[in-house]
Amino acid sequence: MNVKAELLRLLPRKGWIGLGAAALICFLVPILNSVTAPGSAAHVPDYLVALIGKFLCFAIVAVAMDLLWGYTGILSLGHGVFFALGGYAMGMYLMLSIGEAGVYRSKLPDFMVFLDWKELPWFWKPFGNFGFALVAALLGPGLLAYVFGFLAFRSRIRGVYFSIITQAFTYALMLLFFRNETGVGGNNGLTNFKRLYGYSLAESSTKLGLYTLSAVGLLVVFLLCRFIVVSKAGRVLCAIRDEESRSRFAGYNPTSYKLFVYTLSAVICGFAGALYVPQVGIINPSEFQPSSSIEMAIWVAVGERASLLGGVLGAFVVNGAKSWFTVALPEAWLYVLGVLFIAVTLFFPGGLASLILRKKAAT
Amino acid sequence: MPSDIPPDESGKVELGPKASPSGKSRRVSLLPRQRKIEQERVDALTQGRKALLCVDNVSVSFDGFKAITDLTLILDEGELRCIIGPNGAGKTTLQDIITGKTKPDAGSVFLVGDNTDLTELSEYEIAERGICRKFQRPTVFQGHSVFENLELALPGKKGVFASLFARLSKAQRERIDEVLETIGLTEQKHSAAGLLSHGQKQWLEIGMLLAQEPRVLLVDEPVAGMTHQETEKTAELLSSLAGKRTVVVVEHDMEFVRSIARTVTVLHEGKILAEGSMDAVQNNPKVIEVYLGGAH
Repeated sequence: MNVKAELLRLLPRKGWIGLGAAALICFLVPILNSVTAPGSAAHVPDYLVALIGKFLCFAIVAVAMDLLWGYTGILSLGHGVFFALGGYAMGMYLMLSIGEAGVYRSKLPDFMVFLDWKELPWFWKPFGNFGFALVAALLGPGLLAYVFGFLAFRSRIRGVYFSIITQAFTYALMLLFFRNETGVGGNNGLTNFKRLYGYSLAESSTKLGLYTLSAVGLLVVFLLCRFIVVSKAGRVLCAIRDEESRSRFAGYNPTSYKLFVYTLSAVICGFAGALYVPQVGIINPSEFQPSSSIEMAIWVAVGERASLLGGVLGAFVVNGAKSWFTVALPEAWLYVLGVLFIAVTLFFPGGLASLILRKKAAT
Repeated sequence: MPSDIPPDESGKVELGPKASPSGKSRRVSLLPRQRKIEQERVDALTQGRKALLCVDNVSVSFDGFKAITDLTLILDEGELRCIIGPNGAGKTTLQDIITGKTKPDAGSVFLVGDNTDLTELSEYEIAERGICRKFQRPTVFQGHSVFENLELALPGKKGVFASLFARLSKAQRERIDEVLETIGLTEQKHSAAGLLSHGQKQWLEIGMLLAQEPRVLLVDEPVAGMTHQETEKTAELLSSLAGKRTVVVVEHDMEFVRSIARTVTVLHEGKILAEGSMDAVQNNPKVIEVYLGGAH
């Protein structure tokens, strides 16, 4: 098979150049952080590395959301669920890897000692294994999405009804995870992590490693989604989005296509969540808040729908603004987010990416 | 009959599928369900004709309104059949039943030879068996190019994983070019389907059906909104298909029907009122009454 032709099918020449440039910038960050001296003009401070690492995880989510919403027309307002579940799976591993270095010097995680539990609940036990936790972070969200999606798509629930149900879904899980009896730390969640696979999380080399993993993860997820989008399956997805009944009479089963994309996007979000938690050092039920899931949709809307790059761009712009405003003008942030969303919808309905790419109008 | 239940028009939120009016609900079991029609029944219906599609004693009602009552229709291999009838005669409902969009309360639909009851299957499974449909309103994938529209219509494996790795073969490309030629859209090959004119969209949709290589083509009002010339071309195209495929045309335009029809079926209030050649049907007193009672 002609490798060059295959690569050009995946992305045009300019796309590869752009991708290379973006990757270069991403990988310059850790180099500039560790090589240059603090205080020099080229130095990237630690907090900025951590921040960009976080954004990279959000961008992974945005790419998955865009595949689902932009290309397939399914607006899920509950993808925070899958992100959080991936995060919790990783968090549980990190809790157990603390060992006896916690506040209470017990083998049990601190919150269990605090709740006066005598032994580890059964479902915690396998999470001591890093491999299991990693698989659970991917397959847990995937399985849940498969079952939820199967029921929803088979009953032909779509459009705004689907969005509303996914909101209720994330809210229900938030209530569940707030309870101490659920066994994952209640409203405090899981925190005070020490080590990941033997590496201390306080070390800057570990932080840079996690950052690099996130950047590579984003690259892989982007190319995977790009592969789907340029394949015939991608065209079927858009066909289902635009004219579902015609696609059905053309012999496609929209249920299985939707289920595939929904499940895949959940797995990707679980992956992003698992990368996110060791970088921020905490996972708690606030990730299940309906507003977190809505923000994910806003990243895509602000970036550009049905352009994977738009999702990445939107995640960076919105979260960059969020980081700045929540420090400078904390009360104003939600208003700013609202105005940003309305302004983009009104003035650049194509999203920010369409401004940069100067794409010709498609329809 | 759910006569004491008020019609569902109270602004209730409809979550699921358009609920089947009564009786059979859509897809309850998880296992594939297929019911074969007994050979005896098939023979009794076809009586040695070269029949392809049988609609056997089908009835459906919507909230007490009988859209189709005990309708039996047998279409022969390679036949070109026109179905006419006043508004509300059940023409579109009949197509909905054949293609699986509506589940009938009673009766069955099957392809002779295959003998599987199609009313138990979902739309895509029926499409796989070679029954294709053109909607009244031209329905194409607006965001895709003309070429891509035809690509998606081509027969073949249509599952998710097959599509992920699917590549167009040379033969398939040639087939698309051939269809483009037939429907006269070769020059628009790469333009977005949404940018086509109304008539061109109608043609593209017919082209998509051709690309699907169906055994039965259901065409709902193909010349609605077409210019005189376009109408003539459409008549030519549909006539040329007959013989190779079974074509069912539902149309209001009587002149058009006369120009293509060999056998005409007249539907009225969900039943077959008359069937025969155009002349015979037009001189049928019952038909005259129904039509003269209307706008003629």
